[in-house]
Amino acid sequence: MKNRWLSPIIYLICSLVGVVSLLYPFVLPQFNATGQPGQQRSADMPLMLTLLLGLALLVLVYEVQGQAMSTKIIALLGVLVAINAALRFFDVAIPIPGGFSPIFFLIILTGYVYGARFGFLMGVMTLVVSAILTGGVGPWLPSQMFTAGWVGMSAALLRPSMRNLSLEGRSGEVWILAGFSAVWGILFGIIMNLWTWPFIAGPADQYWSQGIGMLETFQRYATYYLATSLVWDIARAAGNFLLIFGFGVPALRALRRFQRRFTFTYSQPPAPVVPENLPG
Amino acid sequence: MNTRLHTWTWVAWLIVTLIALSATRNLFYLTLILFCLLVNYFILEASFQKGAYPLSLLRFGLMICGFSTVFNLLTSHNGATVIFSLPQAWPLIGGSYTLEAAVYGLTNGLVLFGILLVFTIFSQVLPVRRLIRLVPRVFFPVAVVTSIAVTFVPTTIRQFHQIKEAQLIRGQRLKSLGDWLPLIVPLLVGGLERALQLSEAMTSRGFASSSPAPGKQSSRLVMVSGLLLVTAGWILGSWSGKESLGLGLIFSGLLLLLGALWWMGRQIPHTNYTREVWQAGDGIVLLGSGVLVFVLLSSFAGLTILGSLYYSAYPVLQWPDFDPWIGSALLALCFPAYIMSLGKK
Amino acid sequence: MISLRDVTFTYPGAARPALKSVNLEIASGCFGLVTGPSGSGKSTLLRCLNGLVPHFSGGILSGSICVAGLNPVQASPQIMSRQVGFVFQDPETQFVVDRVEDEVVFAMENLAFPPQEIQARLDNALDLAGLNALRNRRLETLSGGERQRVALAAVLALKPGLLVLDEPTSQLDPEAAEGILQTLVRLNKNLGLTILLAEHRLERVLPFVNSLIYLNTDESGLIVGEPRQVLSHIDVASPVIALAKQLAWRPLPLTVQEAKPFAASMHLPVPEPVEVEHQEQPGEIALQIADIHVSYESYPALKGVSLTVHAGEILALMGSNGAGKTTLLRSLVGLVRVNEGSIQLFGQPTQNMDPANLSELIGYLPQDPNSLLFAETVQEELLFTLHARQPHSRPMKKVRAVELESEAVAQSTQMLVQMGLADLAAAYPRDLSVGQRERVALAPIMVARPRILLLDEPTRGLDTAAKDQLAQILRTWRDEGHTIILVTHDVELVARLVDRVAILEAGSLVAAGNPAEVLSTSPVFKPQMLQLFPEAGCLTPQEIVDRLNPPG
Repeated sequence: MKNRWLSPIIYLICSLVGVVSLLYPFVLPQFNATGQPGQQRSADMPLMLTLLLGLALLVLVYEVQGQAMSTKIIALLGVLVAINAALRFFDVAIPIPGGFSPIFFLIILTGYVYGARFGFLMGVMTLVVSAILTGGVGPWLPSQMFTAGWVGMSAALLRPSMRNLSLEGRSGEVWILAGFSAVWGILFGIIMNLWTWPFIAGPADQYWSQGIGMLETFQRYATYYLATSLVWDIARAAGNFLLIFGFGVPALRALRRFQRRFTFTYSQPPAPVVPENLPG
Repeated sequence: MNTRLHTWTWVAWLIVTLIALSATRNLFYLTLILFCLLVNYFILEASFQKGAYPLSLLRFGLMICGFSTVFNLLTSHNGATVIFSLPQAWPLIGGSYTLEAAVYGLTNGLVLFGILLVFTIFSQVLPVRRLIRLVPRVFFPVAVVTSIAVTFVPTTIRQFHQIKEAQLIRGQRLKSLGDWLPLIVPLLVGGLERALQLSEAMTSRGFASSSPAPGKQSSRLVMVSGLLLVTAGWILGSWSGKESLGLGLIFSGLLLLLGALWWMGRQIPHTNYTREVWQAGDGIVLLGSGVLVFVLLSSFAGLTILGSLYYSAYPVLQWPDFDPWIGSALLALCFPAYIMSLGKK
Repeated sequence: MISLRDVTFTYPGAARPALKSVNLEIASGCFGLVTGPSGSGKSTLLRCLNGLVPHFSGGILSGSICVAGLNPVQASPQIMSRQVGFVFQDPETQFVVDRVEDEVVFAMENLAFPPQEIQARLDNALDLAGLNALRNRRLETLSGGERQRVALAAVLALKPGLLVLDEPTSQLDPEAAEGILQTLVRLNKNLGLTILLAEHRLERVLPFVNSLIYLNTDESGLIVGEPRQVLSHIDVASPVIALAKQLAWRPLPLTVQEAKPFAASMHLPVPEPVEVEHQEQPGEIALQIADIHVSYESYPALKGVSLTVHAGEILALMGSNGAGKTTLLRSLVGLVRVNEGSIQLFGQPTQNMDPANLSELIGYLPQDPNSLLFAETVQEELLFTLHARQPHSRPMKKVRAVELESEAVAQSTQMLVQMGLADLAAAYPRDLSVGQRERVALAPIMVARPRILLLDEPTRGLDTAAKDQLAQILRTWRDEGHTIILVTHDVELVARLVDRVAILEAGSLVAAGNPAEVLSTSPVFKPQMLQLFPEAGCLTPQEIVDRLNPPG
């Protein structure tokens, strides 16, 4: 009853906190314009916000793992994450442009087929494991994890509408998923840049003196984004689209084929019907 | 290699370095911190656990600094020392170009490079297993997933090469994207099959099938309210200027959240077989870090014998102060490299 | 220890029960061998013992099970793990952590044993499994046999009273398999562990077991009893037993050792100098390997191997692990660079052909057939190959179009019929049994009609029936003129199938020629019939029987 609502509410709160802590550079000038120029505040703001983001992530991961982790799911996640993490070690014969990353293929498809919690964990764990393996642990990790988690989680939101349009197993399904993945390809870049941006173009105390407004902040961010990553992100979006468009159908089929096997449960028969050793 | 630092010593060093990096924008101090980090990086490079970066880290650092300098110069038109000007009417690039903006950009770049360096050292110097052991007990299922993934990566890579060869010999040529299908499907399906077998093996070895219930409602509520408190504290602190109230809220929120996590972690029965040993080297690094934190905090608190950490390029560029006490305390960040190099001899 | 009464189990969605009215009693301290054709429910039976069936699999179970005083259905696999240690087939997929010690400790850490006890149990388990020297190694650096030992140590650490092993050696080479079996025997003898083992290689285990459980695919249910008794009722057996049954030796000898007295007491007629069998002229030279050298980094894998293979011949390539057999196969298909020497296929040097072109001449079935299978149906696999062969085409796009081309369909259907797979044309390849998968992987290679076929360990994990089927198919192809080279450890398969044997040791060819001659001089690869009758030069029981009662 209450418990049924608690989980979604926690997801929502954590995600909101996450959004706020990612978007703070746009809001902060407003704060500071009216308040005191933070004399001692300088570079600690981005790290502080990373901490907040990390805390939101902890709460969210705890909530999701408590709901979702049977032994089968743990093993399945582990192995699929291994595939995702291994993808970057493969020598690839096709030249692959800049920001392309094959990890979103499985994150989106598993989120779509196995549900929001699985997709979320798939996104989060893929980034954790790649970071651990390549020595890429850092304060950029929480925002990457969060965003990749959102990618997987949001893929599950497509399911009801696909079902309503009865697109499941039809070609429209793959078109929509591919388009969805392309949008996330760009969006992922935009969110990632939100994290580095304050470091590089630190808004903290450049603005208060002039009271620069939100509009100008947006302009600056847009410039930054165009300059640093638009090309990469387009490559990523195109890569995502092609992967899902090319391999989505067989991959979906494989994931669904195994879905049943991973969800088998045994329920004790209602009562022992067999009267054993009864004197006849 | 009998001398190695305790995992928690590395964690402490990491945190202290981060505090130092975010406490100041004074160019002298930043340079000093970066110097210490580079000393660590080059001395410890030999004992790095994972593959080296494709791009040399130094070159990457230069790129970051260069980019942030130029970007800030181009987009921030504040500051008194004007180098040259473009007509105000030009969108975005119009306005005066100042030395302050360039220096400010450079500081940004240095801080970012410092963060990158410290985390690179941290995650390179610790083996994967020790990193996984850092995952708190309450996230035990997640730690197991990580462990499985790390264990299965080599298997997956081997599998992929097998598949690739098998298909190649079958006459499969990799010309277009579609030709990758016979590689991807067996990899995915093989993975799913292996996952089933693995979970069977785990189950039959007594691995509990689910984490201890979805957690008690109360503890989940405590955690969420902790998170909300921290958020509120941060908003209050930076918006309305009520810094002390904000800090209070942040700390109480942290306490609630981490306390709840710790408490729930204790409910999960688990023992650790591998124990790390504390050694004298750990003491030295921890002591140095402690002294540094003390000095930084004293300076924050406005202790007069120490100079201020504060520095800003705006509004008019000036030479930053340099306090020898703070400077020498910062050198403590070199200790890990020193201890580890002792061990090698 | 184990008591099953009237157990019937049906997998979810299955039409027929996997186990039907099974009754079984196993006493404590027993070493039991579970055998039977694939699909007879061996794995299912074993999984009932620790509750994996039905807790893990789902499905409907009736009847009563009692293992070590517990009912696994009520107790759940978690509780049963303290009583029943379970080792699985695949040495790759049982591990959570990547280091030997950590893996053994994993379960104990989860059960929150105190650290001192973990230490003691760890040392003990590593000792029992013979892993002391490897305790700090990473799992990815271990061989399959060593990994199975790790799996064994991991369950032994929980000190179970019953050890259940589901074909633990089917993916291993004979030496590693032998090592594992020896360890099991020791555990049974010294510690009194009850062991239940599913295994195809009867000949290696029979001497040690005191109970044999035979499961049938048909309705006759299972036969349990003392090995000699059970063996006299069933068909499946090693060559020695087959011979002993034909010659009515009593009591039935289970090993070559036991059969020796019988063999010594009988007189095997010396073959009349056979009218030199029309010295069958060897066919065209299919493959000529001239003094090839291959090395990986600085390690020499092949040190000057020369070999000629004629068309229409089956050649077995044997040798111990690391002798260079697989390297030789791989260099034939161009996967490995040959440093020196030359390879000619039907007179053409292969040096400047790329693997894809080579594949027109040579078909290669790798050890793991799963890496080939990707299509939705068996027939699609074949169509895919047929299409990939056509130049300037986009395989998947046109598979649909090809379907319309009756020629390709007819060609693939014919191949499926030849391989006994016609009924499975529409099945999903990965749902099939190991033996069927092996043939399904072979079909798309053969449908392209390569003139030479290379097989790497084709009988690994196959039961007797599947082996017979495969052997029959290979013979047919040989008679159609295909050249077949197989790398194998399976001595008895070599004994009844191949025309010529080549033995590699440490990168050099040590012997090549007629199987009877080569195998009789080999200390390791000697078929049971040659061990029994060293002088006779007979490889199979049938040859011995024919010798005793010359046909006609």
